[in-house]
Amino acid sequence: MSPDAPTASLTLSQLRKDFGSAAAVDGISLSVPAGAFLVLLGPSGCGKTTTLRMLAGLESPTGGEIRFGDRVIACGDGSVDVPPSQREAGLVFQSYALWPHKTVRANIEWPLTVAGWDRRARRERVDEVLDMVAIAPLADRYPGEISGGQQQRVAIARMIAPRPAMLLFDEPLSNLDAKLRVDTRSELMRIHRATGATSVYVTHDQVEAMTMATHIALMNDGRIEQFGTPRELLDEPATAFAATFIGTPPANIVRCRAVAGRLVAGGTDCGPAPQGLSDGGEPEARVSAMYRAESLRLETAVHGSADRPMSGTGRLPAVFADQVPMADRWVVGVQLEDGTRVSVTRGAPVELRVGDPLLLVLPDAPDAVFDATGRVHEATAQVQGTVAR
Amino acid sequence: MTAPPLTPAPQAAPMDPGSAAPARGNRGLGRVRTALTRPTTLLAAGVLVILAILVVSPLLGLLNTTLAADSRSAWTDVFASRMSANLLWRPLGNSLLMGTATAVLSTLVGGFLAWVVVMTRLPGRAVLGVLATIPFALPSFALALAWDAVFRNDLIGGSTGILMNMGVPVPDWLAWGPVPVAVTLTAHYFSLSFMLIAAALASVNGDLLEAAEMTGASRFRVARDIALPVVAPAVVSGALLAFAEGVSNFVTPALLGLPVRFHTLSTRLYGAITTGDVARGYVLSLVLIVVAALVMFASSRAGGRRSFATITGKGGRSRAVDLGGWSWPVGALAWAVILCTTILPGIVLVLSSLVRRTNDFSSGFTLHYWIGGSDPALAQGQRGILTNPQILDATWNTVLLGVSVAIGAGVLGLLISYVLTRSRGPRWLLGSMSAVSFVPFLIPGIALGAAFIAQFGAPVGPFPSLYGTFAILVLAGIAATIPFSVRAATSALSQVSKDVEESAVMAGAGLFRRLGAIIAPLTARGLFTGGVLVFVQMVRDLSLVVLLATPAMPVLAVLTYQYSSENFTQLANAVTVVIAVISVAATILARRLEGAAQPWSASR
Repeated sequence: MSPDAPTASLTLSQLRKDFGSAAAVDGISLSVPAGAFLVLLGPSGCGKTTTLRMLAGLESPTGGEIRFGDRVIACGDGSVDVPPSQREAGLVFQSYALWPHKTVRANIEWPLTVAGWDRRARRERVDEVLDMVAIAPLADRYPGEISGGQQQRVAIARMIAPRPAMLLFDEPLSNLDAKLRVDTRSELMRIHRATGATSVYVTHDQVEAMTMATHIALMNDGRIEQFGTPRELLDEPATAFAATFIGTPPANIVRCRAVAGRLVAGGTDCGPAPQGLSDGGEPEARVSAMYRAESLRLETAVHGSADRPMSGTGRLPAVFADQVPMADRWVVGVQLEDGTRVSVTRGAPVELRVGDPLLLVLPDAPDAVFDATGRVHEATAQVQGTVAR
Repeated sequence: MTAPPLTPAPQAAPMDPGSAAPARGNRGLGRVRTALTRPTTLLAAGVLVILAILVVSPLLGLLNTTLAADSRSAWTDVFASRMSANLLWRPLGNSLLMGTATAVLSTLVGGFLAWVVVMTRLPGRAVLGVLATIPFALPSFALALAWDAVFRNDLIGGSTGILMNMGVPVPDWLAWGPVPVAVTLTAHYFSLSFMLIAAALASVNGDLLEAAEMTGASRFRVARDIALPVVAPAVVSGALLAFAEGVSNFVTPALLGLPVRFHTLSTRLYGAITTGDVARGYVLSLVLIVVAALVMFASSRAGGRRSFATITGKGGRSRAVDLGGWSWPVGALAWAVILCTTILPGIVLVLSSLVRRTNDFSSGFTLHYWIGGSDPALAQGQRGILTNPQILDATWNTVLLGVSVAIGAGVLGLLISYVLTRSRGPRWLLGSMSAVSFVPFLIPGIALGAAFIAQFGAPVGPFPSLYGTFAILVLAGIAATIPFSVRAATSALSQVSKDVEESAVMAGAGLFRRLGAIIAPLTARGLFTGGVLVFVQMVRDLSLVVLLATPAMPVLAVLTYQYSSENFTQLANAVTVVIAVISVAATILARRLEGAAQPWSASR
């Protein structure tokens, strides 16, 4: 393959997009090196697609700036707004957005025609990318005549044909079935490696993010909750939101109060509270204790038995909800008295019916503690960080 | 850790205050500059200028002319003089009466037929459904002429109608005046109510009603709480449209009312303008515009927002009411309506163009009025229409007019709807564009024609007078059909997802390249169908062109009206048949195209 356009690092500074008085993107900043695979991850409405569209040049930022390498490509004051075609960026739309009246070949070729490539160069390049995504036999079909997965490949081929320096993906796998999604994931990573272009990928699926990303920006409400490598987000969640969004199954959050140096959930003592939690002058602080699924155990609750109390220190009453096998383990879902759902991994399935009572056994200390604002409590973060390493 | 180097920028880091300050000062200016140079903004401005010339300036010209020093007395003449009763109040009363009658009768007839076609199992209801839409594709004078051919009596002299010639006496009230006018208007406009109500009923039929019946509600309750609210907007908006058409229709009262001095606003303003009383005619035009605009505006409110009928194209399995013993009378009534509004008038028009002596079947048949040469014994030496150079001229003019207007309005409609739905221009610009492009919908054709004469009938600056030119017909036609072409283009555009266009933006295609290579091919079929409907509208229209066409620039509809006024009944009817054939053929062509597959949408 001939060399692609020189790729570059990508930097967002205080980027924002306001629609009227509502902030879709509320001042986000991050930077990734050339050739990175950045995933913008978050629930729907978190601003990730708007961010991507600002990168593509389909929306103009209302504040902050976007730099690609040393070049400013958009500036919130309107002084710089490089048109999409001059950003050397390619975009795969969620709907693929193929031109229905053009054949597969014409779909891939037209952007090159617009860019002024000569006929021979176009032919060669189209054949090259058709082979690259393995759809050469479909070249003369119309998009309406091929399957969703094939349309997806056409969209990718169309994007990479002009050799963009930046690849943008807007939830490209969301319209595919589960199996095809897994296959296409590795296909996309192969193309990312082959082109070497800096890629930005929008998704709400944390599995996609964990598999593909070199960097993840976890977004919520137009802001970045946490920015880091997949490992960092998994091992050191900065917020309760991050903890519950990442991981399979995600970490569990148990709502507690910190009373006199102890963590209390409902009426149950959950162990010592980390240092400095209730220093705010209030007698009680509402906190969230994070427990990973593998840190928890289950015990069968025995009714009316005198020697084994229904609950006690580190034991929360719960009811059985569901279970599902995962690799060689089972993920058991239980529900606490306050309605919180907790996932526990164990080696064998439980023999219970939905609604049966059981006890959730907590470890001596939570894996992390988040304060009332959802931010991680430093003392636990450090402890937990060293453990993870 | 082996992750690649990472430079997370702290989220709360303040921007360099030194660079932030000037940026803030430039913000507004920079944004305005980029907005002004954006091609969509230029497109929007250009389109708005064209709209201003086509729609706003004629109306201002109309108003302005009546306010000139020598015309100002026209206002007092019309509103407060001894002539007022004859000039304004009585015609206004007649117009309102015709509007009300048309609205009530159209709703009853159209609603009944819609119910029969959609909700019952009556045999042949599909054919009924097709036939019920035909009257609207016909010129509105076709039904008036057919009525005239059948019921004309000897009150005003000249030849008489078929019934009189067969010895059946026809009373004056049945031959002339409000009754025949209201009935023929209804026979034309019930199609509109039928189409609206049938679409609404089709959307309520099936799943929606079944879902309601699953709750255990009684049939009556389902009809009252579910079906009626869904259909009500269609009923109201059909009635208001029929009202506005009835108020402003020109040709029907002109043919069936004028002989007994039954005047409406339209015939009064036509009379005033053609007899040189131009200023009074313009004042009456303004009155007519205000009356019609109020009603049309109300109708767009009634139907616009809650257009349930268009929510889904799939009605699910249709349910049907079993009529039992009632199916015979109901079926007979439905077929009688169709027979009287579609089939019989067609037969009457064709036959009466073939009889030797007007409306007298005993006089023998002849093709003279179609292909004959000049014969002093027949129709004062007028040739048959197919050998008459004036008619051939007018046919050519009419077709050319229809095509020009369809293309002009189609292109303009696409540009307007593109700007309205795709550009992110300033709100005031889009708002005013949307409003102005809707205005012609509120203006009766004859009043718009008057406005075009008022504005373009005299030289404006370097531009010569357009009166009597082909150009004024085309411009007026485009102005009149803008609302329809914008609607057609908007529905065609909605088929092209925003992503599809944005991917062309990503490819670097500019605005006009996108319009040409992506938008136009993908909307072509919808635009063509819309264009055919505009073409039909122009070919069968009389009221818009009746004031604008001149003997040197004839169009078919105006010739029909002239022949009919001069009592050349066979010729008038023959020309009407030609117009009807062109209109119906074009409508069928449009329907065929709607259903035809395109290469990229063909199934595998």
